[in-house]
Amino acid sequence: MIDRRRFLQTAASAGLVVGVSPLGLLHSARAERPFVFTSWGGALSAMEKEAFMDPASKLFGTEIVNTSPTNYAKLKAMVEGNAVEWDLVDVGGRFIFQGRDQGLLEPIDYKIVDVSHLAKEWHVPYGVFTSTGATIIAWNTKAFPEDKGPSSWKDFWDVKKFPGARGLYKPFYYNYEAALLADGVKREEVYPVTDEKVKQAIGKLKELKPHVKVWWTAGAQPPQLLSSGELAMSSAWNGRILDIRKEKAPVAMTYEDGLAWGNAWVVPKGTPHKELAMKIINYAITEPAQERLIKIGTYGPVLASVAAKASPEEQAILVTSPQNQKRMLVMNEEQCAIYSTKYEQQWNEFQLG
Amino acid sequence: MKDTRSRRPLATALLLLPAALFLLLWFAAPLGELLRLSFSDPRGALAAYRELVTGDVYRRVFANTLLVSVVVTGISILLGYPIAHVLTRLHGARLHFAFWCVLFPFWVSVLVRTFSWMLLLERNGPVNAALEALGLTSAPLPLLFNNTAVYIGMTHVMLPYAVLPIYASLVRIDRRLLLASDGLGASPWTTFRRVYLPLGMPGVGAAAALVFLLSLGFFITPALLGGISNITVAMLIEHLVNERLVWSLAAAAAFLLLGVTLALLFVAARLVPIGQALSER
Repeated sequence: MIDRRRFLQTAASAGLVVGVSPLGLLHSARAERPFVFTSWGGALSAMEKEAFMDPASKLFGTEIVNTSPTNYAKLKAMVEGNAVEWDLVDVGGRFIFQGRDQGLLEPIDYKIVDVSHLAKEWHVPYGVFTSTGATIIAWNTKAFPEDKGPSSWKDFWDVKKFPGARGLYKPFYYNYEAALLADGVKREEVYPVTDEKVKQAIGKLKELKPHVKVWWTAGAQPPQLLSSGELAMSSAWNGRILDIRKEKAPVAMTYEDGLAWGNAWVVPKGTPHKELAMKIINYAITEPAQERLIKIGTYGPVLASVAAKASPEEQAILVTSPQNQKRMLVMNEEQCAIYSTKYEQQWNEFQLG
Repeated sequence: MKDTRSRRPLATALLLLPAALFLLLWFAAPLGELLRLSFSDPRGALAAYRELVTGDVYRRVFANTLLVSVVVTGISILLGYPIAHVLTRLHGARLHFAFWCVLFPFWVSVLVRTFSWMLLLERNGPVNAALEALGLTSAPLPLLFNNTAVYIGMTHVMLPYAVLPIYASLVRIDRRLLLASDGLGASPWTTFRRVYLPLGMPGVGAAAALVFLLSLGFFITPALLGGISNITVAMLIEHLVNERLVWSLAAAAAFLLLGVTLALLFVAARLVPIGQALSER
């Protein structure tokens, strides 16, 4: 039986979050259901299914259902409504800390997940990064030739040397790092976040704001806007630019001054498949699983040992290859979670300007 | 005809029951829960409301939402009125075709239409190309990612909602009244101003209320076509629900919007007989 309050809660969250089944409680989470992995969809879900989930399904002899897209509100509603339908979820790195603070996540069981061979940036108490990407500078090659494009955030801010409309991501995320690097802050001094650095970053962004024509929200926007010539230069996700370059679009990119990040996996609190979730995480960061990412060629491996084994052409586009690591800043997602919430008011004021 | 209603109260109640139950279960109850949620802020029952009312950013987002809705309502009425008038003059196949044209956009999802506007309005898009080919502009106009784009995109979605109530009102006007006005020596302008326009006002009022209410909750169009400062309350709520996960604040914002809307409608109803056009048969 479900009591009235519970029912109303579910009904409300169904109204609030379109897509949560209002019947979720009727077929209880404890009932036998297959393991569910949820991710963002598109190339990312395709990669994760091929490289991790299909092999894991064979290895552990169990069915794995792949669903998308990830939705934090849905996850919160599931956990708080005690009707967890997802067992392993791909989230943005910031959510590891947001979810931890809201009590929505199971801690990673490091007795099962072996991270002895994984660099420390890629594992934290409530989440493990299993693949990598980067936010990089991309440009239209009709505006600037491929070999004479910008090679730093300083260049991105230099509208005299590189005239033309700019594109940046809409949230404070990425822009905090880019603005500080453009203002001459050293990579190792971008974190920790302080009031002064936030002020400095927003001040630097105000300089560029008149030239920023598009504040993009979807990863598909920068490649489209750059190839149509709507924008001369934009921040963008590397996978999207690599993809559109395969179609011979007039778009180029550089890893120089890029912001490296990972796709994080978390385990919702109260899942009936907790142990299996930990085993799958452990499997995803083994060498055989990580090696598949190089062949698929969208998101890179987190294991440096695997990246080092790739061919020179492959290494050129891998975020974790030795030569690209030297050129990039690895995002500190815990710090990102801090500036995204604590300084939200300042960011909103900047937007409304 | 009005008598049948009061003569069969039981039948009326039974016919209304399924809809009433549906609304109670899936609208009133969740709304009540949402109201409870808006008072559930850990900092205190009224903390979420206090943050919204005192926050400069939130006030500007509310003002922006109301402004956009008013402008879109105005443009929709100005464009919709002539269309509705022409519709009242058509008959047979022509009327069917014209109606089909008005209603056709309903069959295409708002998302698809919004993306289509992105392609049409972009720097090197067909609208700018046409303006330059006609010699009206010498450089591409910034039509995208600003207020202009939001107004164009939203008006496109809202236009049928403006045309239909106005048409319903205009088509009921007794043509003989216009002839009488003409016969008494009034100019066409005077006839329009003193007879046709006032008689059609309930439809205009209903159209304005409908468009304004729907515009207040707009999300996709301003999010995709607008610039960085085009933040509406719906976008704010989406951010609070999905990204920030502060549901008490999101619920409070929703109720504040509901409150502002009801207050505005109450005032508008004093000025224009909105209900009349919708209930009159």
